[in-house]
Amino acid sequence: MTLYSAPDQALLHAAVEQVWGSMLFEAADPWPADVPADFETGLQAHIEIRGGWNGRLLLTCNSDVAAQIAAALLGMGPDETVDELDVHDAVGEVLNVVGGSVKGAIDGAMTLGLPGVRASASPPSSEESLVVSWRGSPVHVQIVPDAEGL
Amino acid sequence: MTIGHEAFTFVRELVRAESAIVLEPGKEYLVESRLVPLARQGGHKDVDAFVAELSTRRNPAAMRLVVEALTTNETSWFRDTDPFTALRQTVFPALAKTRSKREIRVWAAACSSGQEPYSILMTAQDTPELSGWKVDMLATDLSLEMLERARKGEYSQLEVNRGLPATTLVRHFERLGLGWRISPALAAQVQFRQLNLMRPFPAMGKFDVIFLRNVLIYFDLATKRDILRRVRQVLAPDGHLFLGAAEMTMGVDDAWERVPAGRSSVYRIREEQRTCVP
Amino acid sequence: MRALIVDDSRAMRRIVGRILVDAGFEILEAGDGQEALDVLAAQGGDLPVLACVDWNMPVMDGLTFITQVRKQVEWRSITLMMVTTESEQDRIVRALAAGAHEYLIKPFTGDALVEKLDLLGLLPTTVGDHS
Ligand SMILES: C[S@@+](CC[C@H](N)C(=O)[O-])C[C@H]1O[C@@H](n2cnc3c(N)ncnc32)[C@H](O)[C@@H]1O
Repeated sequence: MTLYSAPDQALLHAAVEQVWGSMLFEAADPWPADVPADFETGLQAHIEIRGGWNGRLLLTCNSDVAAQIAAALLGMGPDETVDELDVHDAVGEVLNVVGGSVKGAIDGAMTLGLPGVRASASPPSSEESLVVSWRGSPVHVQIVPDAEGL
Repeated sequence: MTIGHEAFTFVRELVRAESAIVLEPGKEYLVESRLVPLARQGGHKDVDAFVAELSTRRNPAAMRLVVEALTTNETSWFRDTDPFTALRQTVFPALAKTRSKREIRVWAAACSSGQEPYSILMTAQDTPELSGWKVDMLATDLSLEMLERARKGEYSQLEVNRGLPATTLVRHFERLGLGWRISPALAAQVQFRQLNLMRPFPAMGKFDVIFLRNVLIYFDLATKRDILRRVRQVLAPDGHLFLGAAEMTMGVDDAWERVPAGRSSVYRIREEQRTCVP
Repeated sequence: MRALIVDDSRAMRRIVGRILVDAGFEILEAGDGQEALDVLAAQGGDLPVLACVDWNMPVMDGLTFITQVRKQVEWRSITLMMVTTESEQDRIVRALAAGAHEYLIKPFTGDALVEKLDLLGLLPTTVGDHS
């Protein structure tokens, strides 16, 4: 297959691995199936994809994980802290690059929206999301197709 | 003492991103031993300290040294640029004047994942003097895994970002999932075969251009000398040999002379040695 | 030498900025295409030699910015490089047709950006060590 007609979890995982490996210098191993992927309160980043396939990608993680992702992206040492605005911006940019990679693998003329990030306290359902491990904590990445007829 | 977990992870992901080579857990010792010289050169107390600084400073030159220390397949498109400029501006035009059959033969003798032979073919297509010519391209390597990758011609986004001008990317590649694939027309022009440079070469005729780049560095002096001597036998008397930037024939096999070509240099068989070639 | 980084993500501006500083550049920043045009206009004759431009941004996107820059004769000396996650073949072709000189796809590594600078002839030779 040269190009996809819709994103699937394998494509999403490959995109996440590529972004984490090259920009965060971390592996994105799948979360072990027998461990609950706990989520309390943290951030949710979202980005829209429009065209031959329509929907959104969501990335949800705990606040401390988000701060670590931001620090890794910016290449900051363990003692430096990243302020909240920068954490939002960094996590949004990570999803933006994942979204761009996924979108580019889908056939046809497609457009990518701008990423948005907000605080979130509702745990994403693990069945529908790809859960990858960030230094031993879960990060949820979801493909959410638009509902039929919308 | 071996490298810490965090440092190992950073290095593994860096190497994977830059070269698609995966350092499995258990390779900590290898990483440690290959990076000790770099850590010392940089004045760090150990490899962990060196990697910790690397992960915060992200100095591209230092990161490249780490990747090169850990991979023996490291390659890129139009590697070092200058040799390919020399091909297009000097070597190919010179050959075009002397080859009446409108055909030239090129051998990439340690082709790794294929970037080198494909870059040579793209360069030939960009050489006006060779328009309408046939380029017979043989690409060989010791590693079957690399040959398989080269034959497939599939490259990740990260690999096509490296050294490939955007105009060349859109001209010679098409999207394939997250990555890119070389155009079938270009892939069909290369013959890939396994060949161990340490062993006698099979019968393969004479070549007008040989790329033997960034591989002699892995061999001891006697092996280098033996390989260069045998390479002379498969190079046309007026042919051109390209070596890596850190490699040379001087003091190894003095039947060669170094000739400037643009900002780069090529090696040619000395005039008085040409008659001796069987 | 100065470079202008146009990206709506502060994190990305910092990442690109750090690599460019290592390569010997001084940095100007803008968060969207319009702001970048304003920054250029404010420089008078002392223009940056390079602009690294994201595609998707609020207010004015990178493709429009490049098209605008190319309309100004006095800005012709600026080398334009897209640095974006937009990665389809036709996007790259469009950006090049609009006047971009190079195109770097996100995600990228620092090395890849340095190699692009080398292709554009924007590296002092000591930095682009040919090893
Ligand atoms: C560093 S890469 C160089 C690739 C390319 N020539 C370049 O300059 O970018 C070295 C390559 O040499 C190959 N190699 C190592 N030992 C070899 C041998 N004895 N015979 C043939 N190839 C060998 C490796 O498999 C690897 O692909």
